[in-house]
Amino acid sequence: MKFKAFIFGLLVTFGLPWLLAIVIPFSQMRGLEPVEMAETGETYIFKRDGRIREGSLVYGQEGCYYCHSQLIRPTTFGKDTWRADWAGLPKNVEDGHGDTRRETLPTDYDGEDFAHTGQMRIGPDLSNLGRRLEQASTVTHLAEIGLTPESWLYHHLYNPRGVDGFREGNDDLEENSACPSKKGLFIEVDGSSARGAVITAKNKAGDDIALVPTDKARMLVSYLLSLKKDTLSQPLPEAYNFSKVKVE
Amino acid sequence: MSETSSTPAADGQDVQLRSAIDRSLRHPVMFFFTSGAVWLAIAALLGLIASAKKHHPIFLDGWSFFDAGKVDAAHINALIYGWGFQAAFGMIIWLMSRLSRKECTSSGTILVAGHFWNLGVMIGVVCILAGQGTGVPWLEFPTALWPFMLALYLVITIWSLIQFQVRDAGHVYVSQWYLLAAMMWFPWIFLTSNLFIFTFQDFGNPLMAAGIASWYKGTLFLLFFLPVALGSAYFLAPKVTGRPVYSYNIALFGFWSLAVVAPWAGMQKLAGAPIPQFLPYVGAGAMVLIFIPAIAVGVNILKTVSGHGDVVGASPAVRFTIAGIVGFLSFGALSFGVHGFGLKLIQFSYTGYGLDILGIYGVFSLCAFGAIYFIVPRVTRREWLSRRFISWHFYLSLYGVATVAICAIVGGLMQGQAIENANHDFLQGARFSVAYGWGVTLAWGFLLLANLFFCLHLFLMWARLGRRSSHPTLLSHGHAESPHGPEGEIDNYGSATA
Repeated sequence: MKFKAFIFGLLVTFGLPWLLAIVIPFSQMRGLEPVEMAETGETYIFKRDGRIREGSLVYGQEGCYYCHSQLIRPTTFGKDTWRADWAGLPKNVEDGHGDTRRETLPTDYDGEDFAHTGQMRIGPDLSNLGRRLEQASTVTHLAEIGLTPESWLYHHLYNPRGVDGFREGNDDLEENSACPSKKGLFIEVDGSSARGAVITAKNKAGDDIALVPTDKARMLVSYLLSLKKDTLSQPLPEAYNFSKVKVE
Repeated sequence: MSETSSTPAADGQDVQLRSAIDRSLRHPVMFFFTSGAVWLAIAALLGLIASAKKHHPIFLDGWSFFDAGKVDAAHINALIYGWGFQAAFGMIIWLMSRLSRKECTSSGTILVAGHFWNLGVMIGVVCILAGQGTGVPWLEFPTALWPFMLALYLVITIWSLIQFQVRDAGHVYVSQWYLLAAMMWFPWIFLTSNLFIFTFQDFGNPLMAAGIASWYKGTLFLLFFLPVALGSAYFLAPKVTGRPVYSYNIALFGFWSLAVVAPWAGMQKLAGAPIPQFLPYVGAGAMVLIFIPAIAVGVNILKTVSGHGDVVGASPAVRFTIAGIVGFLSFGALSFGVHGFGLKLIQFSYTGYGLDILGIYGVFSLCAFGAIYFIVPRVTRREWLSRRFISWHFYLSLYGVATVAICAIVGGLMQGQAIENANHDFLQGARFSVAYGWGVTLAWGFLLLANLFFCLHLFLMWARLGRRSSHPTLLSHGHAESPHGPEGEIDNYGSATA
């Protein structure tokens, strides 16, 4: 084999996939525009609020993606839309919302530098975590145990086994959560002098301690609450709704 | 092989040239191997912690430096950039010098660059553990580091390319194709990934960045670590058994089938994500087809050593290399099976991690150990001290790799089944992960123990405490037949201290 032929072979065998699988798809995905649905005239623009870019960075820095995914696959690739609340909420008349379940769209990661689609599912998918925490029945349940969605997340980050599950009837999470704690995101303070968002938890000896979340914890919680599959509680256009049972 | 020669005078010149090459590379090669081995032990320890936290979350609770997630990232990056690259550097510069038959004239520069590489890895790993990683799998080092690492890579490997260019004209050996290709593929992959993920961040789509990161993961192993390992295997298997490579045509086919298939691999990790839909499919297809080069290389190398079972049993270099080649065959077969028939089960289970570790440890590292057991006695002019240490290193490594293959790759399929089963709650399915998690922890325990023996042994060799003997350390009793060439060649040609 001549050296020139060798180099040429390498250029072709590597250059072709490089062009077709990396460069061209990259440029195609650069400026995705929302598409107007021809039938209804609707345009679905995904919006969410929160400290998305900073929070996404903290999510990455803390390595959450090694155990949690953020990807709702079509049914051909997995049963993610079948899981309770993972892909959105089923229609609920009492809470007053329609069916919001759908697969992941490219715009779901807008505002983030890198899409944390995840390496493994040691823990559940987090695509819709914000909406799961903020749905009416959960908020009521959390209020009964003296928490808000935000403070539940702080408790969960500090000690996942020190707090009840956020869904009613899911209290065994306290014993069974496999999530390691992120105690480094909190600073222990003297309870009487603390200001702002303070949570009270028990230390190893069982005494009550007051904890102030660091900036990183605040960004992370704001980001986690922004993970929703619906746009600020607006229902999905029919064309995006891939849920198993399409009941209106 | 190019080193065989007929007349005694030419033989003498040949041995002198070889020992001159070995002498010229002694310091950089020993530096890369020993510091790599230390990083490997660190990576194994971090792997143990990371895995333990997945099934026993209160392990090291409150030590926020070793928080779950961060320790996973530190583990994999220490394994790749600390151990993998440094072992590969040592193998590339030594093998290329020997095969091009040129002394290395830049070992000082390489040694300095190697120190900076270590500094880079150390800064990167500490930053990850301090919570300053990038969050991009396998590229977690702070972004400021990558141009620096790329420049160091070029400073370390460019001399081997120059040596190849100025070599005396002649036949280019199979090992040289693999090494040259690996040397050129890596900068292309690394530069592409870093530019598209970090530098062009504001112009691109975050999801495509995730796709490119998966491509980096796939191709880094298949187009850098794997070819370096195969280059070394094609060098050692014929050399130690004293037989030519079984088939040149199969070698050619094995090389080009890898070159054609591997650049497409990686994006199967994003199956079901809204990226252009052919990308996950070609990724999975490439991972299925990787079985073809695996069979080609496996048949070729195993046929080369077949009938020499005594040498394979006795020579640590060949024993590790053959284990690595069997590892590649298993990698190909498992990759074929899980990507062909179970993609939705393995996408988020332990299987992907298991395949990564089988590749980096069960294929690359085993071949690298083979090369190290061959190269170190030549550059230090001392023989390995302890047959037992080598045996323990071998068997513990094998147990570790087998445990990973069984618990993570095969077990991951069952774990995948459990977490995919929509008939029960996710957390109920996730509990199945615990058993397989224990398996991975056990595997890292084996590998950590294996590498403590290896590290200790290598350090003793570095300190020039190896045996002064013309008999190589073999794993069988008796020194009647030496597989490392004619007896006494080391001592007959000049002093080792030059």
